[in-house]
Amino acid sequence: MDNNAVWLIILLPVLGFLIQGLAGPSLQKRIGKKALGVLAVLPIAISFVLGLMLTQGLASQEHAEAVIVTGGSWINIMGLNIPFEWVVDPLSMTMVLIITGVGALIHLYSTAYMAEDKDFSRFFAYLNLFVAAMLVLVLGNNLPLLFIGWEGVGLCSYLLIGFWYTDTTNTKAANKAFIVNRVGDWSLMLGLFLIVVVISGANVPVEDNRYLSYDAMLPALTTALKANPAMATAIALLLFGGAAGKSAQFPLYVWLPDAMAGPTPVSALIHAATMVTSGVVLLNRMNIVFQLSPTASAVVCAVGAFTALFAAIIAFGQTDIKKVLAYSTVSQLGFMFIACGAGAYWAGMFHVTTHAFFKALLFLGAGAVIHAMSHEQDMRYYGKLGKYLPITFVTMMIGTLAIAGVPGLSGFYSKEAILGSAIANSHAGQLSAISGWVGLGVAALTAMYMGRLAMLTFLGKEERWRKLPVAEHHDHEDGHDDDHSHALTGDHKPKEVPVAMWLPLVVLALLSAGAGYILNQGKRFEHWLYPSGLSQLGELKHEVPNLEIYSYIAAGLGLVAGVLVYIGGLPAKEGLDETKWARWRRSAANQFGFDALLTNLFAEGGRDVAIGTSAFLEDQVIDGAVEGSASGTRNFGGWLQQIQTGAVRLYAMLMLLGGVGFVGYFLFVVNRGGK
Amino acid sequence: MNVPLSALIWFPAIGALILQLLGFVKKEKDIKSIAVLFTTVALGLNLAVLSKSNSGTYLFQAVESVSWIENLGIRYLVGYDGISFWLTVLTTLMTLIIVVATPDTTKNLRGFFGLVLLLETAMLGSFCALDLVLFFSFFELTLIPMFFLVSLWGGPNRNKAAAKFVIYTFAGSIFMLVGIVALAIQHQKVTGQLDFSIINIQASVASGKFWANAIQAQTFIFWALALGFMVKTPAFPFHSWIGDTYAESPTAGPILSSVMVKMGSYGFLRFCLPLFPEAVQSQAPVFMAIATIGILYGALVAIAQTDMRRMIAYSSLSHMGFVLLGIFSLSYKGMIGGSFQQFSHGITTGLLVILVGYLVEKHGTADMNAFGGLKAKMPLFAGLFLLGMLGSVGLPTTNGFIGEFLALMGAYETGARGLFGLSTGFAIASGLGVVLGAVYLFVMFQKVFYGPVKVTEGPDWQDIPVSKALPAFVLVFFVFVGGLYPNLFFGPMEASTQATRLMAISEATKRPSWKDKPEEVTIRVALEDPMQGQYIRAGSERLISSARLHGNVDEKREIR
Repeated sequence: MDNNAVWLIILLPVLGFLIQGLAGPSLQKRIGKKALGVLAVLPIAISFVLGLMLTQGLASQEHAEAVIVTGGSWINIMGLNIPFEWVVDPLSMTMVLIITGVGALIHLYSTAYMAEDKDFSRFFAYLNLFVAAMLVLVLGNNLPLLFIGWEGVGLCSYLLIGFWYTDTTNTKAANKAFIVNRVGDWSLMLGLFLIVVVISGANVPVEDNRYLSYDAMLPALTTALKANPAMATAIALLLFGGAAGKSAQFPLYVWLPDAMAGPTPVSALIHAATMVTSGVVLLNRMNIVFQLSPTASAVVCAVGAFTALFAAIIAFGQTDIKKVLAYSTVSQLGFMFIACGAGAYWAGMFHVTTHAFFKALLFLGAGAVIHAMSHEQDMRYYGKLGKYLPITFVTMMIGTLAIAGVPGLSGFYSKEAILGSAIANSHAGQLSAISGWVGLGVAALTAMYMGRLAMLTFLGKEERWRKLPVAEHHDHEDGHDDDHSHALTGDHKPKEVPVAMWLPLVVLALLSAGAGYILNQGKRFEHWLYPSGLSQLGELKHEVPNLEIYSYIAAGLGLVAGVLVYIGGLPAKEGLDETKWARWRRSAANQFGFDALLTNLFAEGGRDVAIGTSAFLEDQVIDGAVEGSASGTRNFGGWLQQIQTGAVRLYAMLMLLGGVGFVGYFLFVVNRGGK
Repeated sequence: MNVPLSALIWFPAIGALILQLLGFVKKEKDIKSIAVLFTTVALGLNLAVLSKSNSGTYLFQAVESVSWIENLGIRYLVGYDGISFWLTVLTTLMTLIIVVATPDTTKNLRGFFGLVLLLETAMLGSFCALDLVLFFSFFELTLIPMFFLVSLWGGPNRNKAAAKFVIYTFAGSIFMLVGIVALAIQHQKVTGQLDFSIINIQASVASGKFWANAIQAQTFIFWALALGFMVKTPAFPFHSWIGDTYAESPTAGPILSSVMVKMGSYGFLRFCLPLFPEAVQSQAPVFMAIATIGILYGALVAIAQTDMRRMIAYSSLSHMGFVLLGIFSLSYKGMIGGSFQQFSHGITTGLLVILVGYLVEKHGTADMNAFGGLKAKMPLFAGLFLLGMLGSVGLPTTNGFIGEFLALMGAYETGARGLFGLSTGFAIASGLGVVLGAVYLFVMFQKVFYGPVKVTEGPDWQDIPVSKALPAFVLVFFVFVGGLYPNLFFGPMEASTQATRLMAISEATKRPSWKDKPEEVTIRVALEDPMQGQYIRAGSERLISSARLHGNVDEKREIR
């Protein structure tokens, strides 16, 4: 397979974007939504097939080598050359397959999910563009190209979160996502600058100045950073700052729960399977820097473990089914960073892979439930849905068990790999093992909140939406513009979703069940990604005595606890609130006030500072000085107009006088200087 | 066709005159067509002049020299190089865009276009003048048309805005004039001849004679010129004219202004760096601080604005801060980035201003709270606005990214090496400007285009017609050409930027000069990099010398 096909992999989604974006509305009239939907799925599906072929070519080699496909130059000035070039290696191809594979399934699902939306083509334009940007992120052979993808996916995420833009909540969430991500991008950019400084300081001659390309940069960086571990820590922390923004780690996670305002397929693709794992991809790509800095690795571990725990606890407080999954994603991303901190970069990627399957499945399943329940997202109005939505129920149960870490399903293997390497290795010092044990506890919590979700949604005895008032019959045409609880009524009859929606669920359920076992056989995945171990840390240990047993217990206890607590259903009093837990639950639901604190501090506080600066410093001091008005007097408008012309003359006169004085002094200085 | 540079410079002014004389053309539509014709020809002349350019040299090209005031050594001396190359294109392109975008309904269209054309000549003259007095004359000439454009065609507070604009610029110019005179006198002291030609003055500076024993005077005169340029750029704290000028001008005002502000940053590159090397090196931290404050302060004040044009004005302060940051980083990457940012700022600001101007034209206000949910009614308009906004926030693949990225990288590098008393703090803090830039633009976009539709009645809320959106399409095209193929812009800039940098940071006698012989040029630009020693550690010094000893001058990759 010619590796130049990588161009096609990237350009096909771009083509899809252009078709949907430029010709979408007129095509829709001519060929209809169905055909337009096919045009949206097709480019991604073809990219997937091409990706498979490239991967096969790569895997057939004994040691998977990397291939670099170079195009023209992007930025080429004296001393800096950044070409458009793509790297085909195990890491990038793993991501390509996830992005296009899961992406194609989600596109297919969306053709049904979004079928009634009036902005059908706009949705697919954004979604195709997202896939293109994500592919640039993982395939780019230098950090600036990664940055194109990095901000590109951020933009698509912004556009899709705010897709239903008439609702201000959605668009505010979109702004929040973009701006918080930019904070991370700031850190990433500084990391990149530091790398430039280190490499040009080390003066390793690089052909054509393409010293930011990975194949040239990473060896040079290794040499330079070995001599300077403090620099390695600085770079690693700056890069991790970027990763924490994109991958929603504490404290930059705050945008992700709000991002659930977007359509559910978006949450599945962008905010679960692909974009939010970019940080893990970055750490894998730049693993050498982290290998050389135990300090930064310890930070990564600690932040990952804390985020995993914190988000898992918050997940209990949520009543919105998507929010539970959102916090669950934050928590699972924490696991991936524990792995990266411990030096088990491959385990991080392993979890990226399995998580892409089961979390996309869970989100799509949630989407199916939401679709079936008139866009009601509050689990307190669900219950016993397994009876009405059998396919969704079964597939989502598989996803639930997979994420809970039930042995045999995919989540078990990747979680095991993470916890094992975290506990067994000491690259990140004590924190590594601590994070590992914390992770085990979080695994139990995960099983528990997922048990809660399953009980409230699919199981139990009550059909709680029956308690809602029965609606007068009015047509609810554009359900998507109004996704609030008013739509769901007591006489609602949930129906199983159409085939375009359940087919992706079935495929993802199969992957969620089997992928972990298959990829873990004979350390297949680890050897695929890191065929000769890590360059600095060498081979990693995984084995922890009895860890498997602890994991069984954690998963089992968690699930049983989750089921037991909710087996009695919800108390009908107090609006179906979970009375026993209400205060604690609400507190958790509010993230213990953390988001509000940040909002107050930065959003509100920042705006106050801006307004204050503008009103006082700008208008009164700087501008005031110019206007010559008495400070504090703000109503000189009329006054100024009267003496306007006079004022100009006066100023001109004063300036001229001042200037003449200045000239005189100049001549004096110039003359004196000569002597 | 060999077009003399003067033909380009003076053609618009002659056009302005002809437009006034063609009294029999009465219809607004015809007047506009004639203006479009003139500005198109000007753009064509510009491209014809530049098509002959040689990107391998930093010497001035298409030089014309005519004696003007012989007794005082003042000449009509014009020419262009890589520094002015894209600024002339920006001028002719944006003037054409302005003329096309000006609605027929503007009152006294004939006078309006006359002033715009006059301004075009003044700006082109500023970018091409190589004699200090000639430069000053063109520089001041921009004031008059701009004053009338604001005060006759502006909004309710136009008089205040016009007065402020004039006072400010005039105040800066006075200092500049003083500096110019002092430079000529210094030249007389050194060589015995009164001379305002920067080619001659710089040659003397390069040899080290000019400022020998006059370091104090150098700093002083540097500041005199710098003040003038700071007002124009605008740099903190001399920026407060920009808010009123943007908010009260007709749509053409801010666009013209966004080209005119380049006369400030251009002034630093053309005059300050080559003529005052020691002063530039010693004052670099001050200007980096000014740039950083401008970036953050401009962004912060922009967040507080509710008038979209005022917001764009303060965003200009922020974006021009990146230009200064790049220039005064005195690193090659930074200077290229800063120069590139000049062009891209003109494009993106012009794009946003045109679009806001369309709203103002239809609805009489630029208050962002007066709008809401426009996307539903005007999808094309919203799409164009989004693209302009992305250029402005510097999203990668747009032109805004390239300039900011390189300027920040250069500033960071110089800081990390501790050269010229700089630190990485400037680049780190300025990076926050990129975050804040997203805040004000995205919040504005949300208020205006998202949410429920606020105004349903009133005059047409239809989408922008494609014919009206034409200028915006052209600018969007440039936003992405600049972002995806910036090399197009770098090519003509590189030699001059490097030479300008070396003029500022090399030791006396090793500086390049605009009087260098053509055969010296290539070698100098490619190899003489006094910061090189900083990049290369002791052990690898050999690399350069061996390459040089073998007479291999084409080894730039090895030395980097």
